[in-house]
Amino acid sequence: MSLRAPTRRSEPDAPGVRPQMLWSLRPRSDREAGDAIASNFLFHAFPAKVSKASMAWNYSFWLGTISAALFFLLILSGLPLLFLYVPSVERAYQSVKDIEFVITFGSWIRAVHRIAAHGMVIVVFLHLVRVFLTGAYKNGAGRGQHREWNWVLGVVMLLVTLFLSFTGYLLPWDQLAFWAVTVGTNIASSIPAIGPTVRELLIGGRTIEQATLIRFYVLHVVILPLGLGVLFAYHMWRVRKDGGLARAERDTLLERPAETPVVATKTYTLLGVARGQAPVIRAQALEAPETTVNAVPDLTRRAAIATLGTFAVIGILSVFIASPLEEPANALVTPNPAKAPWYFLWLQEIVTDTTIRIGSFTVNGAFVGGVVLPGLLIGLLTVWPWLDRSPAAATGVWMARTRGRQNTVFLLVVLGILILTFIGMAMRGPYWYLYWPWEAWPDIPARI
Amino acid sequence: MEKRTNSPFPAIDRPVMAVVGVVLVIGTGLFMWSDRAHDWRFYQMEFAQLVADQFGADKAAEVPTGMQQIWVADLERADRCTTCHLGVLWKGFEKAEHPYRTHPEAPLKTHPLEKFGCTSCHGGQGWAIDTAAAHGQVAHWEEPLLSRSLGESYTLAGDKNALMQMNCNTCHRYDRETNGATAINLAKRLVTDKGCRACHVINGYGGTIGPDLTEVGDKAPEQYDFSRLSGQRTAFAWHVAHLKDPRALAEGTIMPNFNFTTEQAQALSMLVLSWRRHDVPARYLAGAPRTDPRSAEELAAEEAMKTGPGRWFVDTGCFVCHSVSALGVKSPAQIGPDLSTAVEDTQSRFGLTVDAFLANPTGTMSVVLSRQIILTPEQKQVAVQKLREAFAEHQKQRAAGVTTAPAPSH
Repeated sequence: MSLRAPTRRSEPDAPGVRPQMLWSLRPRSDREAGDAIASNFLFHAFPAKVSKASMAWNYSFWLGTISAALFFLLILSGLPLLFLYVPSVERAYQSVKDIEFVITFGSWIRAVHRIAAHGMVIVVFLHLVRVFLTGAYKNGAGRGQHREWNWVLGVVMLLVTLFLSFTGYLLPWDQLAFWAVTVGTNIASSIPAIGPTVRELLIGGRTIEQATLIRFYVLHVVILPLGLGVLFAYHMWRVRKDGGLARAERDTLLERPAETPVVATKTYTLLGVARGQAPVIRAQALEAPETTVNAVPDLTRRAAIATLGTFAVIGILSVFIASPLEEPANALVTPNPAKAPWYFLWLQEIVTDTTIRIGSFTVNGAFVGGVVLPGLLIGLLTVWPWLDRSPAAATGVWMARTRGRQNTVFLLVVLGILILTFIGMAMRGPYWYLYWPWEAWPDIPARI
Repeated sequence: MEKRTNSPFPAIDRPVMAVVGVVLVIGTGLFMWSDRAHDWRFYQMEFAQLVADQFGADKAAEVPTGMQQIWVADLERADRCTTCHLGVLWKGFEKAEHPYRTHPEAPLKTHPLEKFGCTSCHGGQGWAIDTAAAHGQVAHWEEPLLSRSLGESYTLAGDKNALMQMNCNTCHRYDRETNGATAINLAKRLVTDKGCRACHVINGYGGTIGPDLTEVGDKAPEQYDFSRLSGQRTAFAWHVAHLKDPRALAEGTIMPNFNFTTEQAQALSMLVLSWRRHDVPARYLAGAPRTDPRSAEELAAEEAMKTGPGRWFVDTGCFVCHSVSALGVKSPAQIGPDLSTAVEDTQSRFGLTVDAFLANPTGTMSVVLSRQIILTPEQKQVAVQKLREAFAEHQKQRAAGVTTAPAPSH
């Protein structure tokens, strides 16, 4: 089957005027390829031409696209759940049981939603790591570039992603949910002076109850996804305004034919042209046939591979990995051990390790591990583009020599977080004692 | 037309895209299959075959298909057990294998399925539709099916099926004897005979030397000290061992060793574990009063009214609105005037004798006498007779200085 327009395919009367109803996924000419971008709403976010280098699988690993695909999949799988889940402490657990047992495809949809959510936390984090290690928040040759602000946006989006996942954690109203949120919000309450107020604001009272559930629910299904959607649009818009991936900056360094004058052809807004703020990128470097390809179909095809590939992987994993649902939430019985969601376990681990007991006197580590350290890390991460003094040549290069020291420190921090997360996930057993991953925990007694 | 710029990507990307497409199709097939692959479909087929063999194809067509559910809103239960256990209400499969076997008839007569579901007696996870999950043999489900095989795993000394009686006692908690619950009945007798209440509060009263046992069945398994218990690490096993030799499990306890037999210790453990804070609707609770309790004085007064000289007014129904205080009849509502003075009253109110008024009542009485209390002319004669007796009694009492009848209200 061809998606080619069924009607006449004559030459357009004027550039940009297309008589066809549909765009072509297999354009026969560069113009037709460019027209596809102009005539399709979904493609409007793409440039007409894209640099070959930034298409490489092993530069970006397409982690941003995969994050977006996961976000889209989360919305898709979240919609049916929205019809089935009841956000009330009396019925939430039961409605999740029904999703698991009797709704057609229910357990699969829930697994897709859960695995995609965990996956999104991982992929968004990896995306941030990639951007740091390639110095992709640095600006290159174009005017009006502000990649550092897109980096800040990205950090905010990582935090929103974490909060989205955290708010979703509570909804099943089982022991896992209840106690993970207990641990998480107790860490928030360790902020000096305002801590208890922050916790009260988060959970809508002093105990985790119906008020907490409805708060987390509305945040999870309305406010945070909307916010992330807006941030995502802004993030993409900035990528375009900044002249594409930082990798494309390498093309501007290519030797160009001397006879061709530099022409400002790539502009984005009329106002930008007038004010001279729009990124003006040396055209022949970015549009030359040897460095670029048409976005349709080469970029769209790869985007489709990344998106559909993500769907396929998550879909298949979801058949085999069942989502846990523990006992109904019970404020009187604390599971042993009670753990925060896995992506906060490195913080819980730091809280443990910074809690010092001298006799009967206890220095609570929650403030250091739960507030000071993550606050410091996020603050540093946010302002890093302004602290990074490496040369412009290090933009869009994996592990640039000139950024060696900062990359090493960054990787050490990442490694530390990973190790602490692993310890929290696999090595903390009952009473928070350390166990080797292969060591069995004492089995949990049953009622009968 | 200008040419399209050559691109190196399609050569690799098209096959990759094709692979992704194939994987997507496989993934779709997988999740469709996983949603259909449930044992209940097989069990339903088998049962229909069983019915066909025994009763013919016509009957087999009546076997329901698809997921089955008994929803008991009062108990917040949606039991899907009958999805596989289709034979529960079919006669003729008394000897069949599970899950096709007919349920014994007697308990279902007093405990109809639609009012109790399955899990309120049997335990297990009613929501689930796969064997292991439904029978509660999975992590994170604390109410396993209280089956014979679970009883056998504890080598119950008495009836191997007795564990289920724990659930009987949810509603029958305040019964002295529950029909059929032999183990629980034995345990309840032991509680009285051995004087458990000397030290323990049970159901609100008892001594305070030992812990309150009223809701001890809700104590989380993690809260027991299993360090001195070998074998099964369950609350039930702990209680059995503790009852047989308290000091062996709890160091320094002053609970005496009653030298219970295994059967006694097991029965008591069942009873103790059944003492939970269940939210059972009041009408499910056996032995709970179905009426407002009345004091001994109230009951005596009611009896006196029914058998005393004013009996006729009670039997006829006049007393609902009217007191007849001269004859000791007190109306619960006292809406109408006291009938002790009715003979006088009809004269002053309506200018009629009692006979004339009863023959041709006006106002409320015309409605009452035509709709609620319909009296034949003979009965009306009796009424007049009785009213005169009451008035005579009233006058006698007034002469004696006893004022029982209040002044006419209006």
